[in-house]
Amino acid sequence: MKPILSLTNVEIQQGSDFCLSIDTLELFAQRSYALIGANGSGKSTLLRVLALLQQPQQGTVYFNSEATTTTEQRQQITLVEQSPYLLRGTVYDNVEFGLKLRGLDIKERRQRIHSALEMVGLIELIQRKSDNLSGGEIQRVALARALALQPRIILLDEPTANIDTNSVHAFETLLAALPERGVTVVFSTHDHSQPQRLGSEVIQMDNGNLFNRADVAPKSTSKNLKENKIWQCLMNVHEN
Amino acid sequence: MDYLFESIRAAIELISTFDGEIQKIVWTSLYTSFYAILLATTIAVPSGVALGLTQFRGRRVVITILNTLMALPTVVVGLVLFGIFSRQGPMGSFGLLFTPVAMITGQMVLATPIITNYVLSAVEGADNRIINTALTLGATPLQAHMQLIKEIRFGVMAAIIAGFGRVIGEVGVAMMLGGNIRNSTRTMTTAIALETSKGEFAFGLALGIVLLSVALFVNLFLNLLQQR
Repeated sequence: MKPILSLTNVEIQQGSDFCLSIDTLELFAQRSYALIGANGSGKSTLLRVLALLQQPQQGTVYFNSEATTTTEQRQQITLVEQSPYLLRGTVYDNVEFGLKLRGLDIKERRQRIHSALEMVGLIELIQRKSDNLSGGEIQRVALARALALQPRIILLDEPTANIDTNSVHAFETLLAALPERGVTVVFSTHDHSQPQRLGSEVIQMDNGNLFNRADVAPKSTSKNLKENKIWQCLMNVHEN
Repeated sequence: MDYLFESIRAAIELISTFDGEIQKIVWTSLYTSFYAILLATTIAVPSGVALGLTQFRGRRVVITILNTLMALPTVVVGLVLFGIFSRQGPMGSFGLLFTPVAMITGQMVLATPIITNYVLSAVEGADNRIINTALTLGATPLQAHMQLIKEIRFGVMAAIIAGFGRVIGEVGVAMMLGGNIRNSTRTMTTAIALETSKGEFAFGLALGIVLLSVALFVNLFLNLLQQR
C-alpha cells in the first residue's frame, strides 16, 4: 500500500537550530495519527509541512507519490490550527469560504455548511459574527470549516486544547469516526491517553526528530461511538 | 464682521442656486482627484501588500524613502513634472502640460506614497494567520493575498481616503501642471486662490464650503462602511 503523504529527508532550520529533521515519515490513508511531544518539539511545524503550507529547506514532501505542491493537492488537505483564525463575517461566511473556492453551487454549499455546523453543535450560531465567539466556539467553527470541505486529510494542532471538558468527548468521537469515513487524521496533543481513546498511531517527537513510533492498533469504532448522536450525524452527512 | 456674514450669505446663495461656474470647477476637482486616486490605488495597494509581506535587503531604506515621499511638497512634484511635460521636456511632444492628464499624473505621484505607506502599516498590523488560513482552505496564492486585502479592507479604505484628502486639497500640482484654465483645469483649490486674490471672497468661500463638504461626505462614507 502506498502512503498518501510521505516525507523524505526533510529539514527545516531556524538559525543554527533544526526545527524539523525527519528522514522518513509515511502516513497511510484512512488512518489516525497522533503527534506527541513537548512544546517546541516541532509538532506544529510538521503539521504545516504536511499541510503543504511550509516548504522544507531540504527534502521532499510527497502527496499521492507526487512531489509538486499545487492548489489542487492542497485542497485535499486541511489544517486546523491550535488558535484558528476566523475570517471577518459570520460563522456561515467562514464555513462557506472554502466551498466557494471549490466552485460548489449554493444548494450544495448550504447543505454542507448546515451539516458541518450540526456536527460540531454550533448550528444555532450560524449567523453570529466571528468576532463574537468564545475560544472554544472558534475552535469548533474552524473544525466545521475544515469538515465541510470533506478533505482526504485533516490535520489538527491540539484540537482539544481550548475546549471545555464536556465538549472534548464529542470532539474525540467526531475525530475517531473520520478514518472510517475515508479521512486521514493527524493531530497533535499533549494528552498521552488521547491517542488510545481515538485509536491513533503515535508519532513521538523531540527537538524536531521522530524518535519513537509506538503503533497502537486502531480500535474499531465501538458500539458506544456508533450510538453517539454526533457519529450518526456524521454518517448521515456522508451518506447524503 | 458684516463683510464676513455677507460673504457667507452670498456663498450659500451661489451653492444653493447651483451656479454653473462652481459646478464646472467642482466637477473638474472631483474627476481629476478620482482618476488620480484610482491610478495611485492600482499601484500602491499591491506595492504596500508586497512590501508588508516580504523581507529583503534594503527594505528599511525603501520604507524611509516612502515616509519621506509622504511629505513631498506639491510644488516640487509640480516642478519636476513640469520639466517632463513642458515642450523641451522628454514628454513635451505629447502636449500634456496644462491638461487634466498632467494634473492627474501629478496628483497620482502625490497620493501613491501615502496609500502605499498606509497599506503597508495595515498589512504589518494584520493577523499573520490570514494567508495560511486561506491557503489551507483551498485558496490559490493570489486568492489568499486578495483575502488578506479583504480582511484589512478598512485600513485600505483609510489609505485611499487619506490619499484622496491629499489630492483634493492640494494647490501646487493643479496650478503648475493644470495652469488654472477656466472650464478645463480650474479646480476648487486653484479657483479659491484666484478668486480671493481678485477680491471675489464670496465665490472663494462657496468653493471652500463645497471642498469641506466633500471631505465630510467622504469621511461619513468611510464611517458608514466601517459600521457594516
